[in-house]
Amino acid sequence: MAVPIPDSVDYVLLDEATIQARVQEMADEISADYEGIHNEDFLLVGVLKGSFMFMADLARRLTVPHRVDFIALSSYADTAESTGAVRLIMDTRADVAGRHVLIVEDILDTGYTLRYLYRLFEAREPATLRTAALLTKPDRREVDVPVHYLGFSIPDVWVVGYGLDFADRFRTLPYIGALKPRVYQK
Amino acid sequence: MDPQTLPSMFDDVERVLVSEQEIHDRIVALAEEMNAIYSDEDLPILVCILKGAFMFLADLTRHLQFRHEVDFMEISSYGAGTTSSGVVRILLDLASSVDGRHVVIVEDIVDTGHTLDYILRNFAARNPASVRVATLLNKPSRREIEVPVDFVGFEIPNAFVMGYGLDYAEQYRNVPYIGVLKPEVYQEGTED
Repeated sequence: MAVPIPDSVDYVLLDEATIQARVQEMADEISADYEGIHNEDFLLVGVLKGSFMFMADLARRLTVPHRVDFIALSSYADTAESTGAVRLIMDTRADVAGRHVLIVEDILDTGYTLRYLYRLFEAREPATLRTAALLTKPDRREVDVPVHYLGFSIPDVWVVGYGLDFADRFRTLPYIGALKPRVYQK
Repeated sequence: MDPQTLPSMFDDVERVLVSEQEIHDRIVALAEEMNAIYSDEDLPILVCILKGAFMFLADLTRHLQFRHEVDFMEISSYGAGTTSSGVVRILLDLASSVDGRHVVIVEDIVDTGHTLDYILRNFAARNPASVRVATLLNKPSRREIEVPVDFVGFEIPNAFVMGYGLDYAEQYRNVPYIGVLKPEVYQEGTED
C-alpha cells in the first residue's frame, strides 16, 4: 500500500518513478567515468542526514566497486546563514588522500555547505574530488561551486521527501513534494 | 540481475542468499508490521546504526505510514572484531534526544548479540518511552547473549554474508542483494 500524501504537501514535484529513473542515469554516468578504479580508491561520501536515501539508491546501481562513507555536519546556531559556517560533527572513516572522492548530496542550495566540503577535502589532497547532487536550486545560489552529476534543477520552493525534511518531518517520503507555504510561514 | 553478467566486484560472491526482490517483498511486510504497531502520535525515532543499516533504513522507511523521524548513530569496534563486552566506540551520536520517545533501532544484522546488547544498555540510560529492534538479518546460531529482536527480515545460517549495506573490509556494501562470500576472499580475515 502506498504511503498517503500528507496534508502539508502541496503537490508532488518529482514522483518516485521519475527519481528512480534519473538516479539510474546518474549511476550509469558515474560508473562509466570511474571504470577501472580499484575499490580501495573510490570513495562515496554521503552528507547526513539528507543524503541517506539518495546514497542507498545510487550506490546499489553503480557497477564499479567503491567504499561508502558518511559525514555529518551542523550549522552553528548563532551564525547567520549567509556566512556559511558549518561544524563538522563526524568526519569520514577513510583517509581521502590519494583517493577519488565523490561527495553525495541531497540538494545544492546556497552552495555554502558544498564549498566548505570542497575546502575540507581539497586540503587532504584527494586524487579527484567531485559531487553528485540529486537536486539544485539555482535561484538560491550565493557562491559558485561545481557539481559534476546533477539529478534535477528545481524552482525555489520548500521541498521535502527522499531525504529532505522540514523540522525532521517528511524525510522518508519516497517522492519529492513541495510543502504548503502555510506550513513553513509561521 | 544475473551475477554472472556483472563486473568484477561480484566475482567474489559464491551465491545469492537473498535476492533483491525477496529483500524488497520482506521489507514491505516488515513495514506493515510496524504500521500496525505505531501511530502518528507515537512519532517514533528510527535510529540507523551506521554504516551497515543505511540501505535497510532507506528502503524500510519509504513504506511506513505513521509519522516518524530518522536519526543516525555510527559505531566502531575497538580493534579487531566484537568482544564479549560488546563495547563499541560511538563515532556519531544522535542528533536528537530520545528522552520520553519511542525508539526503533535499525540494524543490518544481529550476530553474537554483544553489540546490540551494548547499544540497548546505552539507550536504556537515555530514558526512552520504548525501544524496539528491527534487523534485516538474524543469525540465531551465532548468539552468545540474549537480545530482544522485534522485527526480523530474514533468519540466515552462519555463512559469511555481504551486500545490501554489509561489507567485508569495506567492500560490497552496495551489492543490491545478500550474497555469501567465497571462502578464499576472507580466509585470512575475521568477521565483524
